[in-house]
This record gives sequence, C-alpha cells and structure tokens, in this order.
Amino acid sequence: MAEVFVFATLNGLVTGLLLFMLASGLTLIFSMMGVLNFAHASFYMLGAYFAYTLSTFIGFWGGLLIAPLIVGCIGAAIERFGLRRVHQSGHVAELVFTFGLAFLIEEAVQFFWGRDTKNYQSPELFDFALFSLFGQEFSAYRGFMIAIACLIFAGLYFILTRSRVGIIIQASISHPQTVANLGHNVPLIFMCVFGVGTALAGVAGVIAGPVLTTFPGMATVLGSIVFVVVVIGGLGSLPGALIASLLVGLLQSYAIAADVGMPELLNLFGVSFDSSHPLDDLWTLNLPQIAPVLPYLLLVLVLIFKPTGLMGNREQ
Amino acid sequence: MSLLTLDSVCKSFGSTRIINDVSLDIEAGEKHAIIGPNGAGKSTLFHLISGRYNVSSGTIGFQGKAIHNLPPYEIARRGIARSFQVTNIFPRMSVFENIRCALLWSEGYRYSFWKLLGRQKLLNDKAFDILEQIGLSDKAQLPSGELAYAQQRALELGVAVASGAELIMLDEPVAGMSNSEAENAVALIRRITEGKTLIMVEHDMNIVFDIADRISVLVYGEIIATDTPENIRGNARVQEAYLGEVPSDA
Amino acid sequence: MKKQLPVWLGFALALIVLPQIFDSVLGISILNQMTIWIIFALSYNMLLGQGGMLSFGHAVYFGLGGFMSVHALNLIADEIIVFSITLIPLVGGAVGLIAAVFIGSFSTRKSGTVFAMISLGIGELIVASSLIFADFFGGEAGVTGDRTYGPPFFGIEFLQDAEVYYLGAFWLFVATLFMYLFTQTPAGRMANAVRDNPERAEFIGYSTRRVRFISFCAAGLFAGVAGGLFAINYEFITEENLNALTSGRVLLMAYIGGLGFFIGPIVGAVILTLMNSLLSNYSEMWMLYLGIMFLLTVLFLPRGFAGFIMMHQTAWQNHRLGMLILPYLITAIPLSLFLAGFVGLIELSHKGDDILPFFGLSLGADSMLSWGVLLTLAGTGALGVKLSRPRLNAAWAAANTVAKDADGDAQ
Repeated sequence: MAEVFVFATLNGLVTGLLLFMLASGLTLIFSMMGVLNFAHASFYMLGAYFAYTLSTFIGFWGGLLIAPLIVGCIGAAIERFGLRRVHQSGHVAELVFTFGLAFLIEEAVQFFWGRDTKNYQSPELFDFALFSLFGQEFSAYRGFMIAIACLIFAGLYFILTRSRVGIIIQASISHPQTVANLGHNVPLIFMCVFGVGTALAGVAGVIAGPVLTTFPGMATVLGSIVFVVVVIGGLGSLPGALIASLLVGLLQSYAIAADVGMPELLNLFGVSFDSSHPLDDLWTLNLPQIAPVLPYLLLVLVLIFKPTGLMGNREQ
Repeated sequence: MSLLTLDSVCKSFGSTRIINDVSLDIEAGEKHAIIGPNGAGKSTLFHLISGRYNVSSGTIGFQGKAIHNLPPYEIARRGIARSFQVTNIFPRMSVFENIRCALLWSEGYRYSFWKLLGRQKLLNDKAFDILEQIGLSDKAQLPSGELAYAQQRALELGVAVASGAELIMLDEPVAGMSNSEAENAVALIRRITEGKTLIMVEHDMNIVFDIADRISVLVYGEIIATDTPENIRGNARVQEAYLGEVPSDA
Repeated sequence: MKKQLPVWLGFALALIVLPQIFDSVLGISILNQMTIWIIFALSYNMLLGQGGMLSFGHAVYFGLGGFMSVHALNLIADEIIVFSITLIPLVGGAVGLIAAVFIGSFSTRKSGTVFAMISLGIGELIVASSLIFADFFGGEAGVTGDRTYGPPFFGIEFLQDAEVYYLGAFWLFVATLFMYLFTQTPAGRMANAVRDNPERAEFIGYSTRRVRFISFCAAGLFAGVAGGLFAINYEFITEENLNALTSGRVLLMAYIGGLGFFIGPIVGAVILTLMNSLLSNYSEMWMLYLGIMFLLTVLFLPRGFAGFIMMHQTAWQNHRLGMLILPYLITAIPLSLFLAGFVGLIELSHKGDDILPFFGLSLGADSMLSWGVLLTLAGTGALGVKLSRPRLNAAWAAANTVAKDADGDAQ
C-alpha cells in the first residue's frame, strides 16, 4: 500500500509540474494581455515535435535547447502579426482567433509530420531507475522532469521578482498605460511575454514528449485540462495555478492508482446496491474509470461555488 | 416625506474612503444639483444610489423603502433612472430600438418571448414620441453608435427618461458639448423633467444656477453645504473649496 | 413583417425546389446535412451573435437531443411508445431545453471568458461521462436506430433520403421562422441590449442574468431540434457529436458566415457543409485549408461572409456598385493564380510518389520544374494582388463616398 502511495504521489507530482509549466505561461499571458490563449497546448505540441526532429540530428539535448527557442519565436510572431490585430475587435474575437489557431496548428502538424505517433526517445543518460521501492522502480527520466521543472520555476521566480525586466513585466500586468508612459515599449513587452509563455509550453513538450507520446492529438488531450487548472486556480493567479496543477495532477494519479471500486467505497458508508439498480452504471464504476472526469467535475464545482477560483482576484 | 433619503452613507474601496458620512434629503419635484471638484465622489454617489455599488455603511431610502444594496435592475424598476457621464447606449442597435428597449419594462413586457414588437402599436408610438422630444426622429433607423456626440448624449437622455421614472439622475449631461448644443440640451432637460424629480451632477455653473432649486456641494466625499443657489454662491466654505466659474450675475 | 413575406416565401420555395435541381445521391445527402447544420448554427448564434455569449460547449444540447432521439426511434421500433418519427425533432428539442435549463441555471451567472470556460468544462464533463453511462451513450460504439419502423406518415415510411430531406426542410423552415421571430420579441431585443451593454441593460430594469438565461434555453432547444434531425438522418450517434470538436465546428460556421447578421450562420453552415462534403473528396488537406480560411476570416473579415456582402450596402444605396466590378476582376485574377499555386504547393507536398494532376499538367514531387511552376504561379499571383490593391482601395473609397444632404449629415 505504501509504495502505491509513494509512486502515485511522485507521478502526480510529475503531471502536476508539467501542467504548471503550461498553466504558468497561460496565466502570465492572461494576466498581462487579458487573452486566454486557447492554442497554448498547441505550442506544447510544437515543442515536442520540433524537439523530436532536432533530436534526430543533434540529439535530445540539442532539441531541449533549440526547440523552445523556435516555439517562442513562432509565438512572438503570432502575437505581433495575428493577436495584436485581432485585439481591437474585442475579447470574443481574440478567443475565437486563438481557437482557430489551435485548430490550424493541429492540422499543420499533421501536414508537416504526418498523423502517426513519433518515436521520440528520452536520452539514454536517464535510462536507469533512480530508486526502487518495494520492488517498483522510479525512472530517472521522471526525476529529471521534476528537476528541470523546478529549475525553470526557480529561474522564473527570480527573474520576475529580482530583475529589472521582471519588475517592468509585473508592472505592465496591472498598469500597462503607466508603464508605457514611463517610456517602455509595452507592445514589445507583450510580444516577449507571449513568446516566453509559449516557449515555456514548448519546454514542457520537449520533456514530456517521450513520456506522454508525441502524436497530433497531444494538444487536445492536455489542452482542456490546462484550462481547467487555470480556472480552478483562479484566472490570473500564478500561485493559484501552481496549487491547482498539483491538485489535479495528484488527484488523477491517486484515482488511477487506487483501484478502488465505487461499491467498496460506498460499503464504507454502509450503502450497497444490487446490480439491477437503474443507476447500475454509476455504482459499478471504479476510480480509474472516473479519473478522466474528475478535473472537469472539480472545474464545474469550483465555477459554481467559487467562480473566481481558489485564489483568483481578477474578473473579466 | 422626502422622495430620496441618504442617511450617513459611507463608501470605501479597500482602505480608501470615497464617500464619507453623506446625508441628503431630496423632495419630490425638486431639481437638485450636485457640484464639486473633480474626484470629489459625485459619480460614486450616483453609483451608490442607482445600485451599481453597495454602500459600506448607511442607508438609502426611496419613497420610504430602503434601496441601498439592491441590484440596479431592481432600483430601476422602482422608478429611478440615470444617465452616464460617458455615453452608455446600445451602439449596435438603432436609435429607435434604444428607446424602445428602455420602455419595455415600464410598459409591462417583462421577458416575453411570444409578443412581436413590431405589432405593439402603443409601445412603438410612445417610442416615436420620445424620439421627437429628443429631436432624433429623423435618425430613428441609424445604428446609435454612428450618431454624432451631441446626438448620442441626447439619446442617452432619452433612454434615461423613457421609462417614465419618478427620479431622474443625470451625470454631467452636457459634458463635451458646444455652447449651442448645451443650450439645446438644457432646454431638452427642462422639458423632459417637468413634474419629475431631478438630481444632476454638473460642472457648468450657468446651467446649474439656471435649473437647480437647491445645490449640494460635495468635496472629498463629504457634503459641505446644501442650500439654494444664491446662498451657495455666497457660502465662504464653498468658495474656498471649489473655485468654479461662478458668474457674478445669474 | 409584411415586407419580409416575399423573403420567407422565397425561402420556402428554394427549399422545395433545391432537391429537384440537385437530385443526385450526393446532392440530397448534402442538402440533408445542411438542414441539420443550419438549424444548429442558427441556434448557436442566438448565444453568440445575438446574446454576446461565447460558448465552446453548444454541441452538448445537440448531442443530448440526438441521443434521446435515437433512443426514441428504438422505442418506436420496439412499439413501446408509438408516434410518428416526424415528431422526433420535438423530442430532441425538449431534451435540449431541459439540459439548457439545468446547465444554464448556474452557467449564465457569468459572462465573457468565464462563461466560455464553464461551457468548455461542462462539455468535457459530459463527454467524459458518456463513456461511463454506457447504457445511454452506447459507450464508444454509440447508439444506432432505425427510422423506418415508425408508423407511416401519410404513407411515407422514410426509406428514401429524399423523403427525409422534405422532413428536414420542414423543420428547418419552422425552426428558422421561430428563431427569427424570437429576435423580434422583448426577450430577443433585450438579448441584443445585454450583448451591447450589459450594465445599461440593468439600468433600464432588466436582469442581465435572466435575459441570458432565456437566450441560453432557447438556443439549447433549437440545438436539440437539430440533434433530432441528425438522429433521423444518420440513424446513428456517438459521443463525438457531443464533443468540443462539434462545438468548434458550429462556432466556425457562425463566425465565418457572420455573427452580426441573422442569415450569417446560414451562409456559414452552407459553406462549411459544402467544403466538408465536396472538398474532402478532392484533397486530404481540406481541414488545413479550412483552418487557414478560418484564421484569415478572423483577421481580415471579422464580420464574416455575410458581413462582406453587407459591406457593399452603402455602395448599393449610392448606385455605385458598378464602380467596383472592374477593380474586383483585376484583383481576382492574380488572386486566383496565387490560390492555385498555393494549393498546388500544399497538395504536391503530400503526394509522395504520386502525380498531381494540375490544370492539365502532371506534376511530380521530385521534379524541380513542378515546384518551380507552382512557386512562380504563387509568387506572380501575390505580386499581382499587391499591385492591384491601390486601385481597389481607391474604387472602394469612391463607391462609399456617402452623398450628403443639405445639413451635411450622412443620408
């Protein structure tokens, strides 16, 4: 039992941190520009694909270094030539634009790389077990994922709070007009933030690709969960996004790992049903089956009872 | 009994107190102006009365019943209408539609989805009447967002009074208008507020002295004086706090 | 309304006549699809274009209506309950309405981005649940039914697709009429007002939440009707018809057609159905073209195709429409060259070893000449468009110079 818990926690941590990598970029972009980037997970996908192609030429590490840069540049270009133009037509137009972008990127990926799943390998360096507990192994690559994620967040935190650029960015989030009046090029800042946010998503793709499989549907799979996380955490709140990411990651991990059926759970409460009950489908569920539903259930509950999310403050 | 009563009303945003212990009685049929320097809190006061903001403390009563902290639509239904400092109409709808929508609730249409508006003769006639009163009959079918500024302000006025509200609150109705436009606007305001109660926020002292029965002076969220125009003019505190363009002759 | 009677008569006439013109199997099938998607797209526009509510989960009401309708078909076939299948769309509508009432009760509390997120979440929740409630949703295989077992309707047993078309056309007419009439009611007009200025709408006595709720329920009802027609037409439905992709598709239709016009979604649904049915036969890449077209529409034609047509209204009123014909032609030629070249390049990239038939030429991916031809085509076209722009702009400005009356006001 204990090892199940430990591994479920670790796996949940990996998922949660990955989600946060995506959610943080999304939150940053939303806080600053008021745009909920529907296509955010698409940049995650692009990161994985670019890294895959690059890794066939210059290895995994080359891919890790260069792919996010390419993705960030594409993101910046899209902000400059697409989003900025649509911005004047209002929030609905922006959302629809990013939605169309997500659609287009998925099609473009299929166009350039084909529809099959890519054999994107994690580097051999990590092809060992970091540790084993009660007979189960925890792969070093997952440990690497955790390490990289923490490194990136530490870096971001320091840049945002300690560097001059970071202060300017923080100011632009709440008072873009004032920052512009001080002589800073706010549109340039927006473009850079969008580029960095998407590059971040790209990094997530680079390191998650080998583990979560690299295929054209990878953006859709993760995309909606990222939105769930951002909304639960509170639109515009980075700490909220972190908490929500870990929450969702761990929740799903526990649900899958704890192969407990509903009947057993209900028995704990002294309730039992026979199999001819009309809601039989519901009662014969086991937790792993419910796992995919849980984030959305959580989302709906949060939106009903605390629409600003766990830590949100900014309302549209 | 006064039509509108504010009793020790306070409003704070966070730790910043915007409205500080304001008490005011407005009588039915009175034309009351609120003046004061920029940032005094005049618009906030309007927002409190019309329901956009909740009070931090104190009460607001209309026709004897408490209205503070009610949602705006509830307050509107009880007979308080307001216009806005920044033109706040329905830009994609035609001028005629703007007025007609403003009439819907008071004419009893509620949320009906079975009555065809084209067939409602009484309603449509009333809307056209109001359009005539505000001088926009010939622009009826134009999208209201395409009107010139002064015409939009006139429409703003029309939307505010269409419902036949007992208390009309106008927030800087002639702001940004030329002298001739303002003259027309003032004549319009007189016409459509005849027999009704009016509270007006205005900076132009000529207009204020022209229309108002009484004036309240709001400075830093407090009312420092409420009196007839002549007395306000002579009030030393007012002169000290608010160096407006007070003409030597009205 | 009297002025519009000819329009409605024309609509009815077109509905009756179209299957006579396009009487092939493919033609009837496309027309059938259109009846479904037009109703669905119009229902979506009640939310977005008329109400200002962006929803990413509208397919839920379509799908739930469809699922219940297929079950109804099966109940009819098993003679557990018996009524004519012509009434199935009402079943779909009822289910759509009930679902909308339930979901709208909490989701219409918010607007804007939060509302969009809620709609997405609900949609995903229901899709995820569909694999759990396998009895109702049929699991991954979906649910099938048979429309021919119902009691005959004046002798018609709906074995033929053409017969199904007339049923669909009838419901299309009825639904469109009612959705249009809704826009002419207090609820419909206040929906516009709330869209334009929710704050002011409250100050004229209306609860924006209530107004949005009514629009939401009406939209759900008509989406359910479309779902019912879907059930009759395909006799088969899966959880794909509930998911974000289907929601996205109807969003695309409404947007491309033009949100701000009642006929916008009709235009969009027609265009997209045609692209889906016809283009997919010619090219695997049609979804890519769709994506590009959508993005370009959002960027350059924010009012959609209907909006593009309506842009010419001023020129029409000025009787200066003729001024635009020549400049349009002059721009159209290089534009066509560019499009041909661009499409050719994309198609050729995916041909592998196959030959691409291109206007009488046979192009191969390994031939430098082929690439050269296409690139030259695209390049020349692009250049031509760029050169012809100033002339087009000038003509446009001239055609739109509004004649002024004595006051100097715009007429």
